[in-house]
Amino acid sequence: MPFNSLPYLVLLAVAVVLYWLLPAPFRRLFVLVASMAFYASWGIIFVWVPLAVAGLVYLISKQIAVDPAKPKSWLWLGVSSLLALLVFFKYRGFLALNLNLLAPLFGVPHFSVGGAIAFPMGISFYTFEAIGYLIDVRQGRVKMPKFLDLVLFFLFWPNILSGPIVRARELMPQLDFNKAFEGRFFFEGLDRVIWGLVQKVVIANVLGIWVDKGFAQTVTALPFTMDGWFLAIAFGLQIYFDFAGYTNMAIGTARLLGVTLPENFRQPYHAATPPEFWARWHMTLSRWIRDYLFFPINAKWQSASLPLYLSLLGVMALVGLWHGAGWNFILWGALHGSYLVLYRMYESWKPLLATGSNSQFARGIWRLLTLIGVACAWVVFRAPTMAKAGAILSSMFYRLSAGRAFGPGFYAFTSLVVLFCVVEPTVLQRLSAIEGRAGSTGPSPFRILVRPLAYLFGLLLFLLFDQNNAQFIYSQF
Amino acid sequence: MLPDSTTIRNAAREAASELTRRPIKEGQRLVSSGLIDSLSVLKLISLLEKKLHVTIPPETLQPEDFDDLDLIVETVEKVAKPLA
Repeated sequence: MPFNSLPYLVLLAVAVVLYWLLPAPFRRLFVLVASMAFYASWGIIFVWVPLAVAGLVYLISKQIAVDPAKPKSWLWLGVSSLLALLVFFKYRGFLALNLNLLAPLFGVPHFSVGGAIAFPMGISFYTFEAIGYLIDVRQGRVKMPKFLDLVLFFLFWPNILSGPIVRARELMPQLDFNKAFEGRFFFEGLDRVIWGLVQKVVIANVLGIWVDKGFAQTVTALPFTMDGWFLAIAFGLQIYFDFAGYTNMAIGTARLLGVTLPENFRQPYHAATPPEFWARWHMTLSRWIRDYLFFPINAKWQSASLPLYLSLLGVMALVGLWHGAGWNFILWGALHGSYLVLYRMYESWKPLLATGSNSQFARGIWRLLTLIGVACAWVVFRAPTMAKAGAILSSMFYRLSAGRAFGPGFYAFTSLVVLFCVVEPTVLQRLSAIEGRAGSTGPSPFRILVRPLAYLFGLLLFLLFDQNNAQFIYSQF
Repeated sequence: MLPDSTTIRNAAREAASELTRRPIKEGQRLVSSGLIDSLSVLKLISLLEKKLHVTIPPETLQPEDFDDLDLIVETVEKVAKPLA
């Protein structure tokens, strides 16, 4: 059951009312049952997967916690079992396909992985949470929990599908659900849920209609230059509003239960450098990669230049692979890795290159390069084939041709969304200032009138625009 | 012997100021605010090692162990070993 569906919204309202009516000791059981039911709505057969992950993590962490001085073998056993589960469900087809391409070279028979199997929703997300959890146990950062706590941690329905990827130490202490109801949970939660809905159905889904047409494999002609650029920008906006919309709904759903989940976005297209983009985009994945991969690797190599550059490329290619079993995702990640390497090289040469006034100029250049680089990488990410990605990228840079293939609505809507992104931080600041003033004196016209009207308007937009009930893009990862 | 917590705090403040080129206040978030990134944390560790004459094995650490002055003091006291 997707977040952006009327049945989910109705059930969410019922669940939130029941949750707050229940005495605190019963809320855990209620959230556990609701989470299992929510996950089962995507395929009852897969409920065993997060339960198995919880069971495995429980057994392994018990071994680690008994004696943290033990060799790392228990940690490795846990991590490799979790990765094996992920590979089985997500990458076995991709692996077999690529191994079969190599098979004739070595004279070995073709691999067969059987028919295609469905995919347990959110497995990439909760597998990463599980790996992080085991490492945290090994580092003595979390205490040994009860089995039920772990089940609840992995199955918690607001974030099981597509994150935010949470750490045990930030979510587990909240899973006793013993807070008393506060009005702000209601307003903060609804703000995020409704705004997330609008981001998804009014912005992402509408852009998606044009993006799907532009990237369709059947369209073989070289796009016009303006169309190439608009398609790259439109997909960048679509995936941002889609994922940010999902994340807002996830954070909002948790907030309605009085639980705080970490943020995942901070206006990523305002980033001035490639590292800043990753500090603003999918922040909980970036944090996971930083804490459990990048930092330990570079700590070992004392951040020497060559290992640093290789680790940036390798880790970002893995980030790409995490998104999907395809070479386009790996290339997308490697492209981002190369942007990060270029920026690090520039940083190490900066003392020789930049002084005073021209450093401002360099910052402007980096801002532009970052946006162009991110847009080009989105083309690779979205295109159904490398040939299609090549055609769009070449139309953007050197096979220049005037003309346009879309109606004016596409260009106008995309430009409007770009404009919205530009003014978004100012709008949010103003809203927060108004809210601050209104909040300081108790009930106010803003709280009593404007907010409910905004919620109604958001719901109306959802009902008007939600024609195709399109899935969130990141739920496929 | 390890330096006392006031010496560690002063060294941490100096090292973080050197890296960020700005004064560091008590309670100011360094990593979660984006003021320093994970590579700068490694530089911070190496500066602390030089200033305090200790070794800080980073393998079991995470960048947010260095998120503010209190955490830096706590982390150094927990994992640092005096140079022989």
